[in-house]
Amino acid sequence: MKISIDAQLCTGHARCVLLAPALFTDDERGYGVVIGDGTVTDDQLEQAHKAVAACPERAITLA
Amino acid sequence: MASDRTAGWAYVRDGGDVYQGADGVWMLTSADAVQFAHRNPEIFTSGPAFDSLGSPVPLVPLAIDPPNHLRFRKVLDPMLAPRVINAMEDQLRVQIRELIEAFAANGSCDIVTDIARLYPTQVFLTLFGMPLEDRDMFIGWVEMMVENSTGGAAPTEEVMVAAMALFGYLQNFIDAKRAAPGDDLISAILALTGDEAWTNEEMLGLGFLFTLAGLDTVTATIGFVMLHLARTPEMRARLVADPALIGPTIEELLRLELPAPLTPRFTSREVEVCGATIPAGSHVRLCLATANRDAARFEQPDVANPDLGDRGHLSFGGGIHRCLGSHLARRELKLVVEEFHRLIPDYELAPGAEPRVVWPSGTLHLESLPLVFPKATA
Repeated sequence: MKISIDAQLCTGHARCVLLAPALFTDDERGYGVVIGDGTVTDDQLEQAHKAVAACPERAITLA
Repeated sequence: MASDRTAGWAYVRDGGDVYQGADGVWMLTSADAVQFAHRNPEIFTSGPAFDSLGSPVPLVPLAIDPPNHLRFRKVLDPMLAPRVINAMEDQLRVQIRELIEAFAANGSCDIVTDIARLYPTQVFLTLFGMPLEDRDMFIGWVEMMVENSTGGAAPTEEVMVAAMALFGYLQNFIDAKRAAPGDDLISAILALTGDEAWTNEEMLGLGFLFTLAGLDTVTATIGFVMLHLARTPEMRARLVADPALIGPTIEELLRLELPAPLTPRFTSREVEVCGATIPAGSHVRLCLATANRDAARFEQPDVANPDLGDRGHLSFGGGIHRCLGSHLARRELKLVVEEFHRLIPDYELAPGAEPRVVWPSGTLHLESLPLVFPKATA
């Protein structure tokens, strides 16, 4: 599975960075950035689901 | 509302996803409706929505609309980004520890007067590089302005007096920093040049907004979080045993007991939201409190359940005006809970205490939260 973030919707709540540190980092403004190509391994799935649920902007997709 | 927010917000929600209230103001109550407004800031404008607070300058960047808004947030976001807050954490932890140690041996405290009113202002003064001795003067001005904000009507004379005192203080401070820059947020903004440079009026507006939006909101939330933990000893015991629960517990209480439940906006044109048509020039309230309890989005919406994790609430708003201080506010809350329970893991409401929420008010908050506990040795 892959995780992605819609940069048009992200406004820097940075919940994904805190809850899924293996999948997201933050840029200088504190906006979430996907690490690498967004591939989510099985042991990262729990983090991925947490990030999706915690995003107030509903900007994160796991597919 | 004062004694039961679940019932109070259910009443607001019962009017529908989008409706015009008896006072003529349009209410957006569902999560989808609020999110739609957040995503369309050029329709749901912020500029005229904050006039009642009595600010003589535009509240930068909250009351600034696109496209100018981005110019400010590009500069401010990095100054309050998580990595910046991380660097401040040790200093902020020392400050909260000192506040708690001051009463830990007494066996009693009032969370509101001994921590919640003091700490957010100290953190603000630290962030801006202002003297901590000015704390109590600041608190006086801000409480006067916030407690008397009416959300629509003209400001009263008392509010204007407090606003002008704060305004004068900020101007003196900016002038001093211009003359002798330091290692602080104001000096960093003053150092901007060319197209990035801010006017004096914009600097004042920023200082004004930070004091209005960043102090009493955290004060209120510290009260709500500690009240909940005082009333749920089993939750508190779990949290003391497993500090990883502190984050999700705070998020759940932010979701249910948010201090600023309604966000004002004005429509720039006619717009359809969730089947309702709102005319151009309408006063609108985004009801974050009911959006946070929307059953279409949240399982068990009226229960604080940290086991469900951070559920993506809207208590810090959303869209381009997402609370600039959200990362700082969350860190303050975390530090209060961590340090209080480190020193005072067991406590209860003082006998006979029945904490009540002040309502109506610009900011939902507790008047008092007296606790008793075994005397701790620091």
